[in-house]
Amino acid sequence: MRKYLTMARMGIMESLHFRLGMFVLVVGNILYLTLIYYLWKAVYASSGTDVVNGLTFKDTLIYLVLATALYSFMEMYTVWEIGRDIQSGKIVLDLLKPIEYQSYLFWSFSGSLIVHFVCVFLPTFVIVFIVTKGGIPLGMNLIWFLISVVMGVVINFCIDYIVGTICLFTESIWGINIMKQVIVLLLSGVTIPIAFFPEPFRTVVYYLPFQAVYNTPLKILLSATPTLESTGWMLLVQFFWCVVMLLISRIFWLVSLRQITVNGG
Amino acid sequence: MERKTIGFYLKIYLKLIAQDIKSKMSYRADFIISTIGMVCTNIAGFISFWILFQNFPSVNGWTYYEMLFLYGFSLIAITPVQCLFDNNWSLRINVFSGDFIKYCFRPINIFFYYQSEIFDVKGLGQLAFGIGTLAYAWYKLALPVTALMVIKTIVFLITASLIMMAMQNAAAASCFWIENSFYLLDLAFRFKDYAKYPVTIFGPVFRFIFTFLLPIAFIAYYPSLVILRPDEVPVLSWLSPVIGIVFFYISYRIWMYGASRYSGTGS
Repeated sequence: MRKYLTMARMGIMESLHFRLGMFVLVVGNILYLTLIYYLWKAVYASSGTDVVNGLTFKDTLIYLVLATALYSFMEMYTVWEIGRDIQSGKIVLDLLKPIEYQSYLFWSFSGSLIVHFVCVFLPTFVIVFIVTKGGIPLGMNLIWFLISVVMGVVINFCIDYIVGTICLFTESIWGINIMKQVIVLLLSGVTIPIAFFPEPFRTVVYYLPFQAVYNTPLKILLSATPTLESTGWMLLVQFFWCVVMLLISRIFWLVSLRQITVNGG
Repeated sequence: MERKTIGFYLKIYLKLIAQDIKSKMSYRADFIISTIGMVCTNIAGFISFWILFQNFPSVNGWTYYEMLFLYGFSLIAITPVQCLFDNNWSLRINVFSGDFIKYCFRPINIFFYYQSEIFDVKGLGQLAFGIGTLAYAWYKLALPVTALMVIKTIVFLITASLIMMAMQNAAAASCFWIENSFYLLDLAFRFKDYAKYPVTIFGPVFRFIFTFLLPIAFIAYYPSLVILRPDEVPVLSWLSPVIGIVFFYISYRIWMYGASRYSGTGS
């Protein structure tokens, strides 16, 4: 356990070093949120009704703001990291380390995950809570939410890991990564809440792992009348995806590794 | 030194680009996947657009097809920056590694040479998608197809691209002064996502910012008004070609100033 914590600590120090990057990230997010605010305000103003698909303007906004905050805290550019390691050949050294490559990556990212959670997500959460005057229910849901976020991080990491493994074959990072990014952003409900999706499309999206990354934690957090049953069911589905994605990513990586040649680094 | 003609620059440009495309073609899989990725981005953007309008008939008095027009317009407008100025993304790396010094010794405009080195072919997929979207919206809106309209569209498309180029150049040039300028460049690049909405949806403060400070409203909104709402074109729309040139020139000066200060890393 000690080695994992050491790597997490290294990650924390590394990301605290790049304060300007953090600052620009925050400014960028604020601008993006302004866009979301005005766009949806205009959209709701033109619709004539207050409630669309069971969501009011306030609900939609809270959802989207928190989804954006979750996204910017979870996006770790893992695919780039793996891809670069493969292209430069550094991966050979990482594979020789006395630690599984997948857990090595995960734990070295965990530090900046913690920093981003504290510096990006928490302030957003507090601001949203104050601005909406208690628009987020506080209670047991916070604990379920945290559990759900951790599982979301794991699922997201596995998706990235699988996509990164594909880079072993294609040696293309940009194209693969951008494809992953748009698919995840759209199908996880970060761009537009899944509740707005037209019908057959919505059902399909609920059967995919992507919605478990962002949609499930947010639903657990924001549900006004949570029942233990519905929360439990959502967490169970998420746990299912956690296990499945971990298995797939692990197996895919091991199978791929056997038939790969890497540039001598 | 004799003054070099446009023909001379053009010849050099074509030669450099031919080299770049040849080298890209040796990574064929990467090229194909990147192109597919680019198309995916556009399709996903289109789908979210479509989903939004499945729920809401219009945004602030702008119908679905008018918004589609803006969307197509902005896609075409950002293509030149994607295709021609892609090397801006590597500027930061070149400056830090010291490789940038090699450009300082070329007997040719350094900005020109640097940007000519890379031609990003995958932007062409986006161009095709943008033209398709624009043509579809044009057809659905029953806009007349006259020579004047087409010329106007082309002129204003060029204007819009100049603004986008200006933002990218200025953001990329920041690496001459600050570390980790990737975030700034990425931020400037993400502004294009705001361009496809009518600036009237924003409050007065942001309308001012997006018009005068970060001129993204000129990437699609102001130029499109000339085509879409010919009866209510504000003066700013007619001014946008001038504004485009001015912003581009400023960004060019910033870039060149940064390059002239560059003293290498000593390696």
